[in-house]
Amino acid sequence: MNHLNHLVQAMDSVQLAQMSFPAELPQTVLAPYLFVSAAMFAIGLIGFLTRKNMIIMFLCTELMFQAAGLALIAFGRHHLQADGQTFVIFVLCVAAAEAAMALALVVLLFRHRESLSASAWKELNG
Amino acid sequence: MSQQTVLLLALMIVPLLVAMRIAFSKNPDTGYRPALITSWLLMIPAWKLIADFDFSQGATTQFAYSISWVESLGLKFSIGMDSVSLLLILLSVLLGPIVVMASKTAIVKDKRMYYAWLMVLQAAMVGVFAAQDLLLFYICFEFTLLPMFVLIRKFGSTNRVAASVKFFLYTFTGSMMTLAGMVYIVWFVAQPDQLGHWTLDIATLTQYASNMSMGEQTWVLLAMLAGFAVKVPLFPFHTWLPLAHTEAPTAGSVILAGVLLKLGTYGIYRFAIPLAPTAFFEYAPEIAVLSIIGIIYAGLICWVQTDIKKLVAYSSVSHLGFCVLGLAALNVTGFSGSILYMLSHGLSTGGLFLMIGFMYERYHTRDMNAVGGLASKMPVWATFMVFFAMASVGLPGLNGFPSEVLCLISAFQSDAAWSAAGEPGAWGSSLGPWFTVFAGTGMVIAAMYLLFMVGKICFGPLREPEDHHPHDVLPTDLSLREIITLTPLAIGCVLFGLQPTLLLDAISEPVNNTVVLVEQANGLESAPSRIDSVIEHADEHSEAEITPDHHTPEGASHE
Amino acid sequence: MPAVLSDSSAGHGEASQSLAHLVEHAAQHPNTGPKWVLLIVLLPVLGFVLNAFYAAFGNKSKIPAWTTIALLAAAFIATLSMFLSYEGTPYTVQAFEWFNLHYGDKSFVANFSFYIDKLTILWMLFVTGLATLIALYASEYMSHDIGAGYCRFFAAFCLFVFSMACLVMGDNMLMLYLGWEGVGLCSYLLIGYFYKKPSAVAAAKKAFIVNRIGDLGLALGVYLTFVHFGTIQYAELFANETLHSYINAAATGDFSHIPAQAQWIALLLMVGAFGKSAQFPLYVWLPDAMEGPTPVSALIHAATMVTAGVYLIARFYPIFLVSEHALPIVAWIGTITALLAATIGMAQFDIKRIMAYSTVSQLGYMFAALGLLSTTGAAFHVLTHAFFKALLFLACGAVMHGFAGQLDLRKLSGVAWMKGWGIVGVTMLVGCMNLAGLPYITSGFYSKDMILAEAFITPGYRMIGWILVFTAILTAYYTFRVYFRVFVGPEHAEPGDEHDDHDDDHHSDHFHPHAPGWAINTVLVILACASMLSISLAYIQKAEHHGWVGSMVAESSASYHSPYAAEAHHAHVEHADMHPVAGPVGTAAPGKVFGMDAHAGMILVSGLGAIFGVLVAAYFHGPKGWQGLFIGGRTESGKCRMDAIARRAGPLPRLAENKWYVDEIYAAILVTPLRIISHVFHWIDKLLLDGLVNLFGFLPRVFAWIIRPSQSGVLQGYAVSMAGGLAVLLFVVLVIVMNSGGAA
Repeated sequence: MNHLNHLVQAMDSVQLAQMSFPAELPQTVLAPYLFVSAAMFAIGLIGFLTRKNMIIMFLCTELMFQAAGLALIAFGRHHLQADGQTFVIFVLCVAAAEAAMALALVVLLFRHRESLSASAWKELNG
Repeated sequence: MSQQTVLLLALMIVPLLVAMRIAFSKNPDTGYRPALITSWLLMIPAWKLIADFDFSQGATTQFAYSISWVESLGLKFSIGMDSVSLLLILLSVLLGPIVVMASKTAIVKDKRMYYAWLMVLQAAMVGVFAAQDLLLFYICFEFTLLPMFVLIRKFGSTNRVAASVKFFLYTFTGSMMTLAGMVYIVWFVAQPDQLGHWTLDIATLTQYASNMSMGEQTWVLLAMLAGFAVKVPLFPFHTWLPLAHTEAPTAGSVILAGVLLKLGTYGIYRFAIPLAPTAFFEYAPEIAVLSIIGIIYAGLICWVQTDIKKLVAYSSVSHLGFCVLGLAALNVTGFSGSILYMLSHGLSTGGLFLMIGFMYERYHTRDMNAVGGLASKMPVWATFMVFFAMASVGLPGLNGFPSEVLCLISAFQSDAAWSAAGEPGAWGSSLGPWFTVFAGTGMVIAAMYLLFMVGKICFGPLREPEDHHPHDVLPTDLSLREIITLTPLAIGCVLFGLQPTLLLDAISEPVNNTVVLVEQANGLESAPSRIDSVIEHADEHSEAEITPDHHTPEGASHE
Repeated sequence: MPAVLSDSSAGHGEASQSLAHLVEHAAQHPNTGPKWVLLIVLLPVLGFVLNAFYAAFGNKSKIPAWTTIALLAAAFIATLSMFLSYEGTPYTVQAFEWFNLHYGDKSFVANFSFYIDKLTILWMLFVTGLATLIALYASEYMSHDIGAGYCRFFAAFCLFVFSMACLVMGDNMLMLYLGWEGVGLCSYLLIGYFYKKPSAVAAAKKAFIVNRIGDLGLALGVYLTFVHFGTIQYAELFANETLHSYINAAATGDFSHIPAQAQWIALLLMVGAFGKSAQFPLYVWLPDAMEGPTPVSALIHAATMVTAGVYLIARFYPIFLVSEHALPIVAWIGTITALLAATIGMAQFDIKRIMAYSTVSQLGYMFAALGLLSTTGAAFHVLTHAFFKALLFLACGAVMHGFAGQLDLRKLSGVAWMKGWGIVGVTMLVGCMNLAGLPYITSGFYSKDMILAEAFITPGYRMIGWILVFTAILTAYYTFRVYFRVFVGPEHAEPGDEHDDHDDDHHSDHFHPHAPGWAINTVLVILACASMLSISLAYIQKAEHHGWVGSMVAESSASYHSPYAAEAHHAHVEHADMHPVAGPVGTAAPGKVFGMDAHAGMILVSGLGAIFGVLVAAYFHGPKGWQGLFIGGRTESGKCRMDAIARRAGPLPRLAENKWYVDEIYAAILVTPLRIISHVFHWIDKLLLDGLVNLFGFLPRVFAWIIRPSQSGVLQGYAVSMAGGLAVLLFVVLVIVMNSGGAA
């Protein structure tokens, strides 16, 4: 019940914040966002490290991107600055462009080895 | 910009242009004729420079010229020469045509590459000695490595790959450390309490460098010696030399022994001593000990060699020990002897390497057990061989003798207790008679290994390898071209053996100035006249009835 | 070693008058002499150049020989003119500047100039004279080599005479050193003349290297002289006041005030002299030098080069006087060498070797004379020895030349009676008599007697005297052993190994010896006459200066007057200005021999000894009949009475025959260890030093080998390292932040 109250109060504060500069927001609001972000990052990292399929690995990198974005937004809201959101817009654009390139590369690589496994390219040695 | 400066620039730039021309020609087998003509023509500006050089002002930098590059960092291109540089430039230019002519039949493929790099080497050698600022000096210093690397790598003997790599990396590592030391000096001089702005001009740096503290100077000296000691080579940094010399083609060996080794000793004379005088004075005995170890150690190794080229290579190590001993003595006799040694060693050891090269072209082996007793078949060759061996051993009348004598006397003189009859005011660093005694055993060892070499290769019953057949082009004995390559060296050996004053007078002023610089940096004064002080002591013990006549030396008039 | 006695009357505070005339001249600048004196040096150089040209252009005649003889004869005439025109004051003649370093008020001056005083003239007379004669001899002797070898021989010959002239006539120590090394070089070239023979090449190398050891000592002495006295020019050196003060001190026997530095100069110069003049322990090169052609042995290794050491000590006698131990060491080494070489010579069978050892032995006499303060005796013996030893060598050479290289005295006999060999026989007899020193009729007697007498006159050296007398007996013995075996007795000859094409009718069983021609015979006769005529030299100016040689030596830096000279010598010392200098010996009473005056006693002892030696040789080696003086018993060439005794004498004869294994000892103590050390150094260089360098070059490879697995190509691996690195970085940052935050 307390949590719900807090949430209602927070939403009120957001409204108030949008109209004018209110008082400090409670810290505990930040934490869940960061937990979620960390969890997403961890899942993405572990997924990248353990999976062999290149598309899945790419998916995991995207997941890590989004986790970072989430953390950025949370902190932006926490400090009441637009920087976080601005940064995330940039990141999304870059991620999109990079996704296009990476998938194109994956397709090309697939054509050479007939396999989506990353270990097929071990001989390149870095 | 005077005419002579143009000539000096020409000595540096023309070979580079010719090198590019040769390198870009279509036929990979050309290059001999342009190289030959260029190297002979380069003698003309060189002789003109000697003629116009004012030897009475040997210490001033003549024909100077400089262009600024980056003013704020003090980077300039500046050249000029004093008499020491002049003589070494002459040596480099003299060896040019000799080396080109000697390579005519030795190099059969890829001549274009060979002669192009040889021309680059020529330009770089002149540049090193003509440089008046550190940047140009260092650039040309390193630039001599590259052609040598290619010459050994591409045109050398069986083990050429390892030899070229070791040569390049070893000397290069050393020079990097030299660069570090020099950069420190430049930084030091740029401090506000010294000069205040950046400069790489050698003369300016010399003025301020002695203000460095002893600790700084020691590190700077170590850094500079790291490069120069490898180049000289000084024991124990000599192990690259036998390998490089044996694997290099004849021309490469001649230039390596004749000029490139002198870059090290020239560097010590021009940089290590003036830029770190207190430290050098302090550590001169240690450096002298290293050089003496080199003399004896390398000499004994020569004695048990079977490869004749390796024998002569180790003999270079042994001989240059004398050179460094003279430098370490830090007195006029020592510097004169050392510079004279640099010049004469180039002639005599260059001659020896040429002889070996001519033999190698005919017999394709350097093993003295396989080939020997060649005097029966090649008497002219044998005569020259004995001649150059005698020049190398220090026979009086040939050019090895004056240099050796002066270097040995310098060690004797440079002990205050010995040379100034106990009076304070050293006459050099503190070496002493024992240094001369041990270095003198080098004389005996030199006789041992050189006569061993001559006895095996020239004398005795004729031995030839079984599969030997006469050369297609070359006659059994020396051809006229080969004799022409040897004659200037032989004439030089005799001339400078009988008239060392020609060279000694030329270098006396710069040498004097360097000694004065060292003495001032170390707070010493020249010792009072030795003869007078000894007489004062003697007078206490006997009543000499002869009135003390001031025996001014004969020929006291300065020529 | 004699005790040093000080005697205040002997000259404390008195300038050394024996240098008085030198001082007068040198106090001003030394005189310069006539330039034609340079011809003596230039003519041999011209000879060298001409002979080199002959060789280059393939000359195949005897022209090189005639050129050489003509030029050397001209040099001899120039020397004679120099002698006749000498006015009594030393002078200098400069050719050109050589070393002329001036710095501040110091200078190192050594020019190509020549210093002429009577010692120089004495030496040059016999050098040029003998060179001319021996060149004449060699023109025939070397004629089987006409062509490149002939030219090469005479070129080296001329170069040798030039170097010897520089040595003797040079006006500073560096000129002496130049000549010193120059004669060493020519000796190397000439010993190794037959360069296809490995033994000749090895002998040449050995000679050069052993000489070089001496040269090192000489060089150090020169440097020390420069450092101590400030000059190496003779004129200045002998006028140097410091040196005079030392001599005055030494005259009183007081060496304590003479600095060790100055005393060491003489010791170092001495080492050089020992090397060049084949004294113990540096004599081992001379017997091997017999590999060279005989004219070379005669000129270089008997008469001229080996006397360079004697010249050195004589010339620098003032410096030797001031060193406490130098002259005694010289005397003892000379004596030991004389005895040692004589014992070896007694047991050799090669006649040239015997003569070589006899040279070493006689040089020992000369050194002993120098050490006994008798430079006159040394110089006189040099002169007479030059003549008769050259004669002996040339006669042996004639034998070698005529018998196809046979030199073994067991294989030759009765040569003097063979047709055409008469002159050789007679001249050989003259030479042997001189070497043995038969009393009154030979010049060798006079010179040897002077030395022996001096040994007994100078106190403290009696032992040396008796050893030298014993050696004289041995000398007479081995000399006449050669004569009685080879030249008299039944005629027999076995040819040697060198079959040359002179003998047209040479079959293996009928061997006809090749009698010497006019050139050889002429030279032998001239030398024999010279040996006999030099007896007269002992009588010229006998009163004032102990002979003509004495008069030459007296006006040079080698002069020294023993205080016992007046007492012991027959004549009176009349000149008032010849004050004796006591030197290192002190002023004890002069010695006597058997109660007699030393000179008279010595004549008796050495004369009887020589005759005794000859008789012993006759008994053991002489043939039956009058040729063996009626006491000999040899009937054939190979066997004699000595063989039986030698068989029963135990190991001694074999030891002596093998030169007391000195060469082998040197090889074991010096050469082999040095070679082992050199090999060790070589391996150190290859493995240790080069190994370190290679190791240094190997390190990046090791580093790379460690790191390479990280470049596996596995994408995830890279990711792991990135993540890990990031974690570490974060950790570090946090730690720092926490620390600084905590501190703040």
